[in-house]
Amino acid sequence: KMKTDLCLSSEGTEVILATSSDEKHPPENIIDGNAETFWTTTGMFPQEFVICFHKHVKIEKLIIQSYLVRTLRVEKSTSKEPVGFQQWIEKDLVHTEGQLQNEEITAHDGHATYLRVIIQSAFDHFASVHSISAEGTVVLNSS
Amino acid sequence: MVKLAAKCILAGDPAVGKTALAQIFRSDGAHFQKNYTLTTGVDLVVKTVPVPDTGDSVELFIFDSAGKELFSEMLDKLWESPNVLCLVYDVTNEQSFSNCSKWLEKARAQVPGTSLPGVLVGNKTDLASRRAVDPAQAQAWALGQGLECFETSVKEMENYEAPFRCLATQFLHLYREKVELFQGLV
Ligand SMILES: Nc1nc2c(ncn2[C@@H]2O[C@H](COP(=O)(O)OP(=O)(O)O)[C@@H](O)[C@H]2O)c(=O)[nH]1
Ligand SMILES: [Mg+2]
Repeated sequence: KMKTDLCLSSEGTEVILATSSDEKHPPENIIDGNAETFWTTTGMFPQEFVICFHKHVKIEKLIIQSYLVRTLRVEKSTSKEPVGFQQWIEKDLVHTEGQLQNEEITAHDGHATYLRVIIQSAFDHFASVHSISAEGTVVLNSS
Repeated sequence: MVKLAAKCILAGDPAVGKTALAQIFRSDGAHFQKNYTLTTGVDLVVKTVPVPDTGDSVELFIFDSAGKELFSEMLDKLWESPNVLCLVYDVTNEQSFSNCSKWLEKARAQVPGTSLPGVLVGNKTDLASRRAVDPAQAQAWALGQGLECFETSVKEMENYEAPFRCLATQFLHLYREKVELFQGLV
């Protein structure tokens, strides 16, 4: 099976929920394959968004490009509906003055249909997420 | 159009009118007001403040200590991760004004390395004959600290909205600055 970026809107992936949104910087910017566009939090933490793959995938590596994020938590679900999320990854990021945080996380047990990404805290009043990509394989193309 | 959310903390000596100010701000008949009393003896006033000429708004979450005298541990929890500061003194009480620098320092220590937009509010201007703090002196100090300065009388319902509107505007400006920064990263 070919390894692809599973987190692209062009591949059918969607952001189905985000706790904050500026219509100029919507959460879709996270999965558009372009690090120039971004989603911003709009005040107070935690803030989160949920990614739906519309298929069963196995993630081997997660790459998150962000700015000013301090504590990041990722939960995943293998259900058909966005329920039953389980704790998967928790990371304290370092502040990278003037350049994107580029966090590569090698994942264990990466089976997922949904990801829930939670920004627990930040280095400032606001933080941005520019892109998330997930390297891995499609296990099952549902419907 | 964006709707921001900001945690607003109230600082200042006891009895200067912090609770009165938050309550009058809430009870004003405007839209989207909610009130929650949290079990910890903290009162939370939530109100959306539109920023003039923008279409944007800020939902202020004002955390008040609900009459309880605060000891440092509880205050630390209540003051965790503030976004904006409303610093209040009583214009008839010189001590309450001079203590403002202590309160400001304590508030800023909550967000080291980050700016904390704030207002200085001199309350109880209705007690004109007992005034002990010169408005010009307060203004000068506020200016030096980067705070916007207001005088209010909660009792006479005078000028009580302006400080919160100012906080909303400052917070929106801060947001726009950050977005510009994010835009320049790649
Ligand atoms: N004369 C006058 N009294 C006020 C004003 N605002 C509050 N007070 C009174 O000051 C006292 C302390 O107010 P409170 O809001 O509990 O102060 P806090 O301890 O800072 O929260 C109460 O008796 C209020 O009624 C005002 O604008 N003018
Ligand atoms: Mg009080």
